[in-house]
Amino acid sequence: MDFSSVLSGFAVAFEWQNILFCLLGVTVGMLIGVLPGLGPAATIAILLPITYNLEPTAAVIMLAGIFYGAQYGGTITSVLLKLPGEASTVVTALDGHALARQGQAGPALGIAAIASFIGGTASIILLSFIAPALAGVALAFGPAEYTVLALIGIFLVGTLGNGSIIKSAAAAAAGLLLATVGLDPLLGTPRFTFGTDQLADGIDFTIVAMGLFGVGEILYNLEHRDRPQTAVPSFGRAIPGRLHWLKSRLAILRGSVTGFILGILPGGGATMASLVAYAVEKRTAKDPSRFGKGAIEGVAGPESANNAAATSSFIPLLTLGIPANATMAVLFGALMLQGITPGPGLMTDHPDVFWGVVNSMYLGNLLLLVLSIPLIGLFVRMLKVRPGILAPITVVITMIGTYSIRNNAFDMLLVIGLGLLGYGMRKLGFEPGPFVLAFVLGSLLEASFRRSMRIFGGDVSEFVQRPVSGTLVAILVLTVVVVPLLRKVRTRQTENAEQAGVTAD
Amino acid sequence: MQHPLPRRGLLAGLAALPPLAALSACQVQGGADEANATFPTRAVDFWVPFDAGGSGDLISRAIAKAAEKPLGQSLPVTNKPGANGAVGLKELLAGKSDGYTISLAVKSLFAIGPLVVDDPDAVVIEDLRIITTLTNEGYVLVVHGDSPYQTLDDLLKADKVNFGTTGVGTGSQLSAGLLFGIAGVEATDVPFDGGGPTVTALLGQDIDAASLSLAETMPHIEAGDMRPLCVFSEERSVFLDNVPTALELNYNILVDQRRFIVVPADTPDEVVGVLTLAFEEAREGSEYGQFLADNFMERWEVDGMEAELHLAEATEQFAAQIAESGVELGSAE
Repeated sequence: MDFSSVLSGFAVAFEWQNILFCLLGVTVGMLIGVLPGLGPAATIAILLPITYNLEPTAAVIMLAGIFYGAQYGGTITSVLLKLPGEASTVVTALDGHALARQGQAGPALGIAAIASFIGGTASIILLSFIAPALAGVALAFGPAEYTVLALIGIFLVGTLGNGSIIKSAAAAAAGLLLATVGLDPLLGTPRFTFGTDQLADGIDFTIVAMGLFGVGEILYNLEHRDRPQTAVPSFGRAIPGRLHWLKSRLAILRGSVTGFILGILPGGGATMASLVAYAVEKRTAKDPSRFGKGAIEGVAGPESANNAAATSSFIPLLTLGIPANATMAVLFGALMLQGITPGPGLMTDHPDVFWGVVNSMYLGNLLLLVLSIPLIGLFVRMLKVRPGILAPITVVITMIGTYSIRNNAFDMLLVIGLGLLGYGMRKLGFEPGPFVLAFVLGSLLEASFRRSMRIFGGDVSEFVQRPVSGTLVAILVLTVVVVPLLRKVRTRQTENAEQAGVTAD
Repeated sequence: MQHPLPRRGLLAGLAALPPLAALSACQVQGGADEANATFPTRAVDFWVPFDAGGSGDLISRAIAKAAEKPLGQSLPVTNKPGANGAVGLKELLAGKSDGYTISLAVKSLFAIGPLVVDDPDAVVIEDLRIITTLTNEGYVLVVHGDSPYQTLDDLLKADKVNFGTTGVGTGSQLSAGLLFGIAGVEATDVPFDGGGPTVTALLGQDIDAASLSLAETMPHIEAGDMRPLCVFSEERSVFLDNVPTALELNYNILVDQRRFIVVPADTPDEVVGVLTLAFEEAREGSEYGQFLADNFMERWEVDGMEAELHLAEATEQFAAQIAESGVELGSAE
C-alpha cells in the first residue's frame, strides 16, 4: 500500500468544501433514513443532477455520506415505529422496538448509534489496510457459495422467532413463496404475475417490509385505539448507561467483524451480516429467551454489523467496479458521469478520489454520532404523539417513500395489500420477521441454486468439492445438526446425572 | 409581439423544419393551437424505464442535460423501471401525448422481447414515435484473462462451455447463444441478474465466457483480467480494433443494443419537430461526445423512419437465426 496517497487522501477529505459536502451528505442521509420507504438509492438518483458541477471527490463524498447516513437514520424508525426501511435493519426492529415499548428507546438508539459508529469506523480501518487483498473475496463467491450462504441464512431465520416454531416456519414459507413472484430468473417465464408487467420484476423488498411491518403494525395498533394505551413511562437518556455498555461491547466487536466480512459480498451481504450477528448474540447469550423481548445485544450486534457491511460494500465497487447493491449501482453511475470509471484502475488512476472518499468516512461517521445524540432526544418524542395522529402521517410518508422506489403508483396498492396481510398475520400470531427475511433470502437461494446446477451440469456433490462452498457446507452442518444434537445429548446426560443423584440420595 | 421570448424560440425552430411543415404549422398557429405553437412552455419530463445507475440511466442523464439549452427548458430525469422498459413505456402510452413526457427506449425490448415471451399486450414500436436515435452499443465475447482459450477457435473447440448472460431476452444471451448454437458447441447458458453479477462470475471463473457490452468489459480488458475473443458488430469496434468480428470469422451474427427517445405515436408533428431539433443539437454537444467516448458507446444517428425499419428488420433476422440454429432463449430448460 502506498502510504503517501493515504495521507494525501486525508488532506483531500479535510478540505473545507469536502467537509461541508460530507456534513451535507450525512445529514440528508440520516433524514431520509428516518423517512420510511425513502431509500438512499432513490435519494442519490434524485440528487445526481446537483453533482454534475461538483468536483468528483466532493460529489462522491456527499453521495457516500447519504448512503451510510441512511443506515443510521433507518435504525430510528426501526426502533421507534417497527418500520425497517432496509433488509439489514429488520432484526434491529425485533429487540429495538421491544426496548422502546419498555421506555428504553433512548438507550436503545444510543447504543445503536455507538454500535454503528464503532462498526463503521472499524470497517474503514480494515478497508484502508486490506481492501485490495479482499477484492478477491467477492470473486471467490460464485453461485454455489451464495446457495449455501442463503441456506445458512434461512436456517438462521428460524432462530429469530420467539413464539411457536411452526408459526415461524409457516411465515418463512409464505415469504419464500412470495419471492417466486416475477419472471423466472433463468427462463423468463412469468410466475404469479397475473399477466401484468408490474409484477414482472418481482416485488421490491422495501415494499414487503413497509407493508408487513409498517402498515400492518399501524392497522393493528389502531384497532386498539379505544383501549387505554400502555403509556410509555419515559424514554430514558440517549446516552446509554454503564450496564448497557457492558452488555453490548462484545456484541459490537463481534458484529463489526461479521459485518465487514459479509459486507464485501455483492448481493445480500448486509442482510446476512445483521442476521448472522443477531444469531451469534442469541446463541452465545446465557439466557437466549431475553431476545425478542428487549435484549440490548440484539440491537448492538446487528447495528454494528450492518454499518460495517455498508462500509465494506464499497470494496467491490472501488476495486472491481462491481456495485454490491442498488445504492452502489447509483454511486457507480455518479462516478461514470464524472468521467471516472470505478474498477481495477481507480486506485492508481485517481488515488485522490479513492482515498479522499474512504478517509471522509471517518469524519462522516463521527459527524453522524455527534448528530445522533441530540436528534435521538428529539425523535423519541414521536412516541408521545397520539397514535390517531401519528398513524396517518406515517402512512402518508410510507406511501411517498414507496412511490419513490420505482415512481410507480401500483406499488402503493401493493403496500396496502401487504399491510392487510401483515395485520392478519399479527392478529393470528405470525411474526413478520421470518416472512420478510425468507423473502429476501429466497430469491437469492433459488437463483443461485439453479445457476449452480447449470454450471455443475446437475452434479450436487460439487457443492462440497469447491473449497469455499465446502467450508460453508461444513459450517451449516455444524450449526444446524451437530451443535443442537450435542446440546440435546448434554442435557440428557445432566438430567440422567441429576436423576442418579436423586436416587443415590 | 405579446410573447417575444417563446416566439423567437419558435421561429428558430421552424426555420430548420422542412418548408412545407413550417407553412402548415404557421397556418395553424394563427388560430386556436397557440399552446402547441409555443411548445415547450414548461419542463419536459424525461423518463428512463430502467434503474438508476445503469447504462440506460447514464446516457439519458447525459443527453437530457445537453438538451436543456436547445430546448430552452429543463428536462428532469425520472426512473420508471420494470420488465426491460415495458412498465415505463406503457405508462407513457397511457398518459397525454403532448410531448411533455418523453422516454428512452431500447432495441432489445422490440427486437428480442417478442422472441422470448409471447405477450399480446407487449409494447410495439408502432404505438410510439422515435424522436431521436442515440447510440449503438456493441457486444464483445470475453473469457477470463487466465483462460486457456486464446482465440474464438479455441473456445469453440472446447468439449463443454458454460457461458453467462445478463438475463433472459438480452442481446448478451442472443449473441452468445447464436454463436454456440451455430458452431454446434455443447454450451449451457447461465443467466444472471444484469451485467454486474455476470462480470463478477466471469472474474471469479465460475463461467467460461460471456457476451457483454463494451462499457461493462473495457476496464477489465484494459487491466488484463478479461480477454476479448470477438465482437458481434458489423465492423470492428473503434475501441477494440484488434479484435475480429464474428462476421470475419464466418459466423453471421449481428447483435447490438441501440437506444433512442420516443413519444406516443399520436403526438402532434410540430411538437415532435421541436423535440427532434433540440436533441439533434444536443447530440453535437462536446460533453455528450465525451460521455459517449468514456463509456465506449458509438453513435447511431438516423431519422425516425430508418430507425423503425431497422428495428423491424432486426426482429425478423433474429427470429430467422433462432429458428435456424435451434437456440432456446426462454422456455424449455
